[in-house]
Amino acid sequence: MDFGYNEANERFRQEIKDFLTANVSREFRAEVREMQGKGMGPLTKALILKIGEKGWIGMSWPEEYGGRNADRIDQFIFEEELVRARVPLNIGNFIEQAPAIMAAGSEEQKKYFIPRLVRGEVTFALGYTEPSGGTDLASLRTRAIEDGDDYVINGQKTFTSGAESASHIYLMARTDQDTPKHDGISIFLVPIETPGITVRPLWTLAGGRTNEVFFDDVRIPKTAMLGEKNQGWYIGSKALNLGRAGAMRYYTYVSLFEETLYFARSNPLGQQLMDDETARDKIAELYCEAQVARLFTLRSLSMVRRGINPPYEISSEKVWGPEFLVKSTEVVSQILGPYNQLWEGSDLAPHRGAFPKRYVSAMVSTFGHGSTQVMRDAIARRGLGLPRGSI
Amino acid sequence: MDTLLNEDEQLLTDQARAFLAKESSTALVREVEAANKDFDQGLWQKVAALGWLGMTLPEAYGGVPAPFSHLGLLFEELGRGIAPIPIHPTMVAALAIHANGSAQQAEAILPAVIKGDKILSWAYFEAGGDIDLSSINMSAAVGANSIVLSGKKLFVDGFKHADQCLVVCRSQPQSSGAEGISLVLVDTDSQGLSNTRLPTMAGDIQDELHFDKVEVPLDNVIGELHQAGAAAIVMFEQAVILNCAMMVGASHKAIEMTFDYAKEREAFGQPIGSFQAIQHMCANMVTWVDGATMLTHEALWKLAEGLPATREISVAKAFCNERCPAALREGNQIHAGIAQIKEYDLQLWYRRAAAWSMRMGTSIQHRRIVAREIGIVPEPSA
Repeated sequence: MDFGYNEANERFRQEIKDFLTANVSREFRAEVREMQGKGMGPLTKALILKIGEKGWIGMSWPEEYGGRNADRIDQFIFEEELVRARVPLNIGNFIEQAPAIMAAGSEEQKKYFIPRLVRGEVTFALGYTEPSGGTDLASLRTRAIEDGDDYVINGQKTFTSGAESASHIYLMARTDQDTPKHDGISIFLVPIETPGITVRPLWTLAGGRTNEVFFDDVRIPKTAMLGEKNQGWYIGSKALNLGRAGAMRYYTYVSLFEETLYFARSNPLGQQLMDDETARDKIAELYCEAQVARLFTLRSLSMVRRGINPPYEISSEKVWGPEFLVKSTEVVSQILGPYNQLWEGSDLAPHRGAFPKRYVSAMVSTFGHGSTQVMRDAIARRGLGLPRGSI
Repeated sequence: MDTLLNEDEQLLTDQARAFLAKESSTALVREVEAANKDFDQGLWQKVAALGWLGMTLPEAYGGVPAPFSHLGLLFEELGRGIAPIPIHPTMVAALAIHANGSAQQAEAILPAVIKGDKILSWAYFEAGGDIDLSSINMSAAVGANSIVLSGKKLFVDGFKHADQCLVVCRSQPQSSGAEGISLVLVDTDSQGLSNTRLPTMAGDIQDELHFDKVEVPLDNVIGELHQAGAAAIVMFEQAVILNCAMMVGASHKAIEMTFDYAKEREAFGQPIGSFQAIQHMCANMVTWVDGATMLTHEALWKLAEGLPATREISVAKAFCNERCPAALREGNQIHAGIAQIKEYDLQLWYRRAAAWSMRMGTSIQHRRIVAREIGIVPEPSA
């Protein structure tokens, strides 16, 4: 067991921190607030490209695909510091599909997508969930019908986060109606500007945006298919599993707690509330649980680094982290009391009203990318070998 | 950074597990408990022969140099095997003697301990069960050649068979907190020292010690007189993390027994483990116990590296105390009726892990330390 970072890791962390200090400006923050839900502003785009130039996105990938064979630990550090600095780059959208493209993509697809993902020029929105089902993903109804050298796609996706600024949709569609549901699905890498695609916003409680995406006779070449026809389910489920690993996720779950800790230590109101030993006990309890979130991620990372595809450990992260986030919003709200309901714009709202926003948005973590119930199914069946029931 | 066990650690774990599965049978555990024996001499000698009582101690005394993390992994297996031997109190005291004692003291004590010829105990807690050094009131009056102990110690593990007991006491009457603390090694048959047995839920026995002007030679002071506060804290912290390791080991075993049961036990025509209600309980159990394991391992690693670990140790203990017994309670619920039956083995682990979660500081007490460590305790205003 080794829970430490070596000197090279520490130097790299400092490099990232210095970069973020130098490049995350007040103007950038203002743009992020201004552009919420409207896509990416020019400063944000410029920052992504700059980060891409540094070679930090996908840095652990092989050199031939634009990475630099860097240690996954350094990639973890990069993601952790990026989220800690509250840079709103959804790293998951950059890196989540890359393992699948590397595993199943044609040489041409690898050469096209991977370097562009790394440079921040290609970003994917995930086209999985449909209005008729999310958790039972394999029942999806969007159809792709062969027509000469093309496929023609019709259907609808929903909760397609990031579609307003993505360059592509990573689309799951049914390519065979007559096989068992898992065996008739294919994945397509579809440029978002393809005629016939309509993106409509769905506004969320915290002022954020997700989308529904409509496909009306969308014609794409067969070369846009990832991997073999009807193998999409298997390519996709592996990518989801690997996509759940990494600091991006762990830190998203614990960042609210870190902000709370900062608030409790340095804000006069926070310090006043910490006079109460019961409140301190609650915060200390959250601290303990946050460490579990961190260590679960480091465990998965250690396994992946050893070439092990974690049978259940990533699902454990995906249960523990989101439920921790939800619990921490609840604890914070019961410590802050009336201050925690003050929305952005109230003079008395701590942290510009960031806490109540997290309070109403935390729910997304426990169902986005697979509900915690589905994760528990996976832990029990894949991890513990419990049998699948007949009812 | 690699949080998984390395080759040496895995080998140690596998060998210890295989040995204890054979030598610490439930029949033996039951026999020791039924006879109020406290421990099994045969197993103790076998464990000594394997060098376990010398792990992390110098070769010169017959020890086996190893990082502290190896000792922790060994205790995880001892917990899994619910081995009926006083290895926790013996090693806690031996480590403190090694760290703080003079060369003469170490030579006089440690070789016998490592061979299995001497059992040690340690006495820290007093009325109230507080874990802070400010709770130490046991008085120790220092004379020209001796030190005289008066007062009471509670919840002392392994006392009955111990030859000597390392006592934390206050040798400067006007002192408070970590000041004026000494460690005194007391022969358990000393004049004026008596004990009251405290049978526990775990089926082992703790003792309440009464010191009625127990006179001990000054030569038996371990470390510096009056200046052993820091040493006492280290001893306490090592005891805590080894206790966590035992809880974690026992909990892994109990939840594995439960998963096996859920696969075999049928209801409504299918294994109960196929019901989602049961599956989700099992998923929680493994998540909690894995979390307890990771926290414990991180603290062990820090100790092995010689890094400050006060925070990590209390984080681990606060979490283990609550989540390990919670996982075992879920295990009882899945077993249902049979879980309460003495002749069924699950209860052997349940009672021990539960009792261990109540020793060496509660979750609330350890979270107080965490709160201090993470800087949320306001400075007292002037």
